[in-house]
Amino acid sequence: MTRRVAVTGIGVVAPGGTGATAFWDLLSGGRTATRGITLFDPAGLRSRIAAECDFDPFAHGLDPELSQHADRYIQFAMVAAAEAVGDSGLDSGAQDPWRVAVSLGSAVGGTTRLEHDYVKVSEGGRRWDVDHRGADPQLHRAFSPSTLASVVAEQFGAQGPVQTVSTGCTSGIDAVGYAFHTIEEGRADICIAGAADSPISPITMACFDAIKATSDNNDDPEHASRPFDARRNGFVMGEGAAVLVLEEYEHARARGAHVYCEIGGYATFGNAYHMTGLTCEGLEMARAIDSTLDQARLDPTMIDYVNAHGSGTKQNDRHETAAVKRSLGAHAYDTPMSSIKSMVGHSLGAIGAIEIVACVLALKHQVVPPTANYETPDPECDLDYVPRTARERRLRNVLSVGSGFGGFQSAVLLTGPGGRTR
Amino acid sequence: MTTRQTRPTRRTPRAAITGIGVIAPNGLRTDAYWKAVGEGLFVLDGITRDGCGHLPLRVAGEVRGFDAAGLIEERFLVQTDPFSHFAMAAAALALEDAGIARGEPAEPYDIGVVTAAGSGGGEFGQRELQKLWGQGSRYVGPYQSIAWFYAASTGQISIRGGFKGPCGVVASDEAGGLDAVAHAARAVRRGTGAVVVGGAEAPLAPYSMVCQLGYAELSTAEDPARAYRPFTEAACGFAPAEGGAMLVVEDENRARERGATVRAIVAGHAATFTGASRWERSREGLAHAIRGALDEAGCAPEEIDVVFADALGVPEADRAEAGAIADALGAHGAKVPVTAPKTGIGRAYCGAPVLDIAAAVLAMEHRLIPPTPNVFDICHDLDLVMSRARPAEPRTALVLSRGLMGSNAALVVRREDDSAR
Amino acid sequence: MLTTQVTYDELAALMKRGAGVTVDPGELERASDTPFGILGLDSLGLLGIVGELENQYGRSLPPDSERCRTPQEFLDLVNSTLKAGA
Repeated sequence: MTRRVAVTGIGVVAPGGTGATAFWDLLSGGRTATRGITLFDPAGLRSRIAAECDFDPFAHGLDPELSQHADRYIQFAMVAAAEAVGDSGLDSGAQDPWRVAVSLGSAVGGTTRLEHDYVKVSEGGRRWDVDHRGADPQLHRAFSPSTLASVVAEQFGAQGPVQTVSTGCTSGIDAVGYAFHTIEEGRADICIAGAADSPISPITMACFDAIKATSDNNDDPEHASRPFDARRNGFVMGEGAAVLVLEEYEHARARGAHVYCEIGGYATFGNAYHMTGLTCEGLEMARAIDSTLDQARLDPTMIDYVNAHGSGTKQNDRHETAAVKRSLGAHAYDTPMSSIKSMVGHSLGAIGAIEIVACVLALKHQVVPPTANYETPDPECDLDYVPRTARERRLRNVLSVGSGFGGFQSAVLLTGPGGRTR
Repeated sequence: MTTRQTRPTRRTPRAAITGIGVIAPNGLRTDAYWKAVGEGLFVLDGITRDGCGHLPLRVAGEVRGFDAAGLIEERFLVQTDPFSHFAMAAAALALEDAGIARGEPAEPYDIGVVTAAGSGGGEFGQRELQKLWGQGSRYVGPYQSIAWFYAASTGQISIRGGFKGPCGVVASDEAGGLDAVAHAARAVRRGTGAVVVGGAEAPLAPYSMVCQLGYAELSTAEDPARAYRPFTEAACGFAPAEGGAMLVVEDENRARERGATVRAIVAGHAATFTGASRWERSREGLAHAIRGALDEAGCAPEEIDVVFADALGVPEADRAEAGAIADALGAHGAKVPVTAPKTGIGRAYCGAPVLDIAAAVLAMEHRLIPPTPNVFDICHDLDLVMSRARPAEPRTALVLSRGLMGSNAALVVRREDDSAR
Repeated sequence: MLTTQVTYDELAALMKRGAGVTVDPGELERASDTPFGILGLDSLGLLGIVGELENQYGRSLPPDSERCRTPQEFLDLVNSTLKAGA
C-alpha cells in the first residue's frame, strides 16, 4: 500500500517580496526583481547585478533570540517555514514529534558568513595562518551545513529524521524529493521541506565571474535575466528560500487540512559528463522526467506545464529544451514551459524549492507564470516559453526540473485536483 | 527503467555491501586500516599542517603519507579539494574491491553516488578567499565553482566512474554518514543496482579549524594521549580527524548474479533529532533511533553482537549514549560488547560513522571485535572492549552516530548467513 | 619585462599550474592542432588560463579566446591580440 504525499502548506522568501502572496503577484505580473547589487560593493566584478530580497527578519516575526546567530539564508528558511507551517494549519504541539521530519537544501550554506569572518581573521586576505582571536564563537554554525535543518527542526520541535541536502543547484528539488521518499516510505508523516541560499557575496559572485556563467548586463539589470531568449548571456544571481509542508495524504485528510496538490513522483540522475558542462542531448534530465511520469503512471501528454530550470545560459537552455522534447515528444510543443529565474534570478540551491512553490501556486490559480524578458527566439530553443505575460490554463499535472553543478539532473511532478494519481 | 513498477515480480531487494575503500589516519587502504584497527593502533598526534601551529586546537588524526597522485589523476589535485581527493581515492578502492570497473559501465543508470559532507572544500576555499581578498576578484580561479561546495565529491566520483544513477549529497553533521548509507540502501531497494556511498572530510585547514573552535565539544588538550578519551572520567571532548570511507552498496541479487561477494547486508536504519549540543536529550533520541533501526532490520535486541559507539568524549554525551544503549537493548545492553575504534584516530565528521561501518563489516569477517584505543578505566555500565581485540563471532553489528548539530542515527549491518539463503 | 608573445612553453606551464595537466612543451607544439579536451584540459581550465593571461598582461582577451579548440588556435588569437595592443 503506497502512502501518498500531499502539499498542505507553502511559504516563500523571494526577491520582490516575502510571502506567497507577494511572490505570486510578482510572477503573475511578469515583473522582474533583478537590480544592481546593494548587499556589498560589487566594484571590480564582471557581474554586478542580482535579485536581492528586501528582508527584515524581525518584521516577519522571527524570535530575536532564536535568529540571533542565524545566517541570512537560515533566517530566510525560518521565515518561509513559519509561513508554510502556519498555512498548513498544523498544530505542531499536537503532532508526534518523532513523526515530524525536516529536509532542507542549500548549495552554498553559510559561505556568506564564512567569508565575512574570513576577511577579519585573515587581515583582508593577507595571512594563511588566520588569527582565531577575531573569530565569532558561533562561526561553527556557518561552517556546518546541517545548521540549516537543525535550526528549523528546533523551531517546530521536529524529532524525526532531520537532514540538509546539498546537491548544488538541484538542492531544492532534491530536498523536497528526499522528503517525499521519507513520507512515502513511512519514516515520517510530516516533513518540513524546502531550501535556502543567500549567495550574493563577493566570493560566490567572483567564482561565477571566473567561469563567465553570470550575466554582465550591468547597465540594464531589470532585463538581464533572459532565459531562452537569443540574447541571453548568463544567469543573474538570486537569493531566498521556500518551504513546503509535505504530509501523508490520509494524515492531512484526517485533520481536514487543505491539500494544494500531491507529489506524484521524483527522480534524480547524474550526467557523469562534466562538473559544469551539459550535453546538447539532455538524456539524463529526460530520464528523470520519464521516471517521475512512470511513478505516477502518467502519459507524457498529460503534462500541462513545465517549470524550467531556465537559467539563461546557452548550454542550459538548449540542454533542457532537448530533454523536454525527448520526454514529452510532440506534446512538448503544446506544453508551456517557463522560467521564473527571469524574474527572481537563480538562487542556486534555493531556487528548486522556490520553483516548486511557484508550481503549487500555478496549480492553485490555474495560471502559468511567464518567462519575463523573452523577446527574440533562439532557433535552437523552439518550445512555448510563455513570453512576458502570464497565461490562464487548465493545469492538473506540472513538472519542475533542475540541473546542477556536479551533473545532477532532477525532476519532480506535482498533481493538482483532477490530475491522475496513483 | 529503474523504478519499482517495472520490476513487479521481484521482491524488494536487500542492500548488500560488496566493496569497502578506506583512507584513514591509521591506514591508507582497507587492509591497512583493518590491521591498525584490529591492533588498536593509536595515531592521534599534534597537528602539523601549515598555518595551524598557533591555534588552540592541538591534536587531530591527520591522514599522512597519502599519495594522491598514485590514486587519482594529477589534474584532480589542482582542480579539487583534499576532501574530494580522499573521497575519490576511497571510492576507487571500494569499486576495485567490489569488482566494478570505472569508465563506461554497461548500465550507467544502474549505479549511483551518494556522499555525506560536513565541511566541504575548506582548504581550497581558503586559498581562493585569500586570492579574492588579497589580490582581487580576477584572481579567483575557475575551479572554485566546483571544488568548495559540498556536492564536489559526489559529482567527481560520478563523472570519473561514468555513473549516472541517482546521485545525492547529505550535507550533515556526523550522523549524516549513516544517513547517506541508508539513503543508498533505500535507492537500491527502489531499484538502483548499486550505489557508491560514504563520506570523507578534510577539516584541518587553518580557517576550517578556526570555525570548529566554536564547538564546545572540541578537545583542546595539548597531549595526544589525553585528548580524546570517551567513557572515562578524563573525557574532555573529541579530537577531529580527516579521511573517511566509501562503500559499494548493491542489490544483493545483482551482486550474486555477477559473482561478487556479499560482505554484509545493510539491514536497518533510523534517525532522530534532539537539538544541537543537548546531549542529555540525545539519550532518548538515540534510543529511539536504535529501536527504529532494529525494527527495520527485524532484529531483536539480543541479536546485536557488537555496538560501534558514537563515543563523543563529552561526559554528558557519553552518559546519554550508555543510557540509550541500556534503554534500547534492555539487559542485553550491559552484556553486548561495545567498541569505539575511532579513539585511535579521532572523529572524521561525516566520515567517522562510515569508517565504523567498514570496521563493523571487517570485524564480522575476521571474527574479532577491535578495541577502543587509549581508553582504560571507564565509568559507565558498558562492556567496552579495551586494550586488545576480542575474538568473537559477531553476525550483527549496531553502528551509532550523533552529530554536533543534534542528529542521532543508528544502523544495523548483518553478516550474510549463507546457510539461510 | 613582459613579452607580447605567449609561447608553447608558457602555455604548457599554465596548463600545469592552472589545471594540473602535464604536457611536454615540445609535444604541445607538435600536437598544436589537437583539441584541448584530448590533451586533458577542460573548458574551465581554458577559462582559467585566459584569466591568468589577462591578469598577467593587464588587459582583456577576446571572448572567443575561451572557445578556442586547439593550442594553435588559442595562441594565434592571443598573440595577435597582444601584438595589436602593443
